[in-house]
Amino acid sequence: MPDTTACAMLPEALQLELDRLHAPAYGWALACCRGDRPAAEDALQTTYLKILDGRARFDGRGSFRTWLFSVVRYTAAELRRRNVFWRLLPLALLAPAADGRPDPATALAQSETTGRLVAALDKLPRRQREVLHLVFYQDLTIAEAAAVAGVSVGTARTHYERGKATLRTLLGEERE
Amino acid sequence: MIEHDDHHVKQAFEALRREDAAGTPPFAATIAAARARRTARPRRRALELAAAVIVLVAVVVISIRRERAGVRLEIDLATVRWQAPTDFLLNLPGDELLRSVPQLGPRDLDRRTL
Repeated sequence: MPDTTACAMLPEALQLELDRLHAPAYGWALACCRGDRPAAEDALQTTYLKILDGRARFDGRGSFRTWLFSVVRYTAAELRRRNVFWRLLPLALLAPAADGRPDPATALAQSETTGRLVAALDKLPRRQREVLHLVFYQDLTIAEAAAVAGVSVGTARTHYERGKATLRTLLGEERE
Repeated sequence: MIEHDDHHVKQAFEALRREDAAGTPPFAATIAAARARRTARPRRRALELAAAVIVLVAVVVISIRRERAGVRLEIDLATVRWQAPTDFLLNLPGDELLRSVPQLGPRDLDRRTL
């Protein structure tokens, strides 16, 4: 396990660590962008750029993974807000902005099981969706998920319980 | 934390993770794209700034126009009295006699005594 404390975060070490966490970070970026692959790639590239340029610094508190995920989450939200701004401008007509839905290629590639899960997750509030993804997909604890989502552990637990109950119902309904 | 009855939820998430992993772009390509964007950023920043200035100017112009269109001089015609400079020509000598009813007898006559 590489040392990921603040003093050990040399550019090479940073890059190695980012490489190691690339696949989970991409999965998390996809969740933050509601399955929109171009938007997720955009968010991840911007996150890496922030980290490599030193605009986002890991201070050694908590794990590198939870810190990276919180930067991805923040960056995705930032890009989403910026996209809303661009969509309001007439200039946005020149370049179609992502509407936050999975692109057709993604939807086509999804199997029936994951398609059902994605459709059910899409019906949940954002916070519940995020906490469920972090716990079930990324195998984080609720405390870690709370750190990533920027909420208290109690709030994260509530989101987890409510989200899980709704998700179970939705998946159960789909099965029937 | 994950309970036994959450097993099918967990399985669905695992399937999603496998599918996402298959479509993950390589790390090197992501880093290269990020670095390429770094060089393109100043131009984009300038474009964003220009767009923001255009939007700001448009908002200011529209708000000023709306304000001007909204401000109307309210004229209360009931209180307006216009006097032409030649009005004095209409004043005839002794015209008050023509506009009042002539009265006969003393003015202080008490009607109750009649």
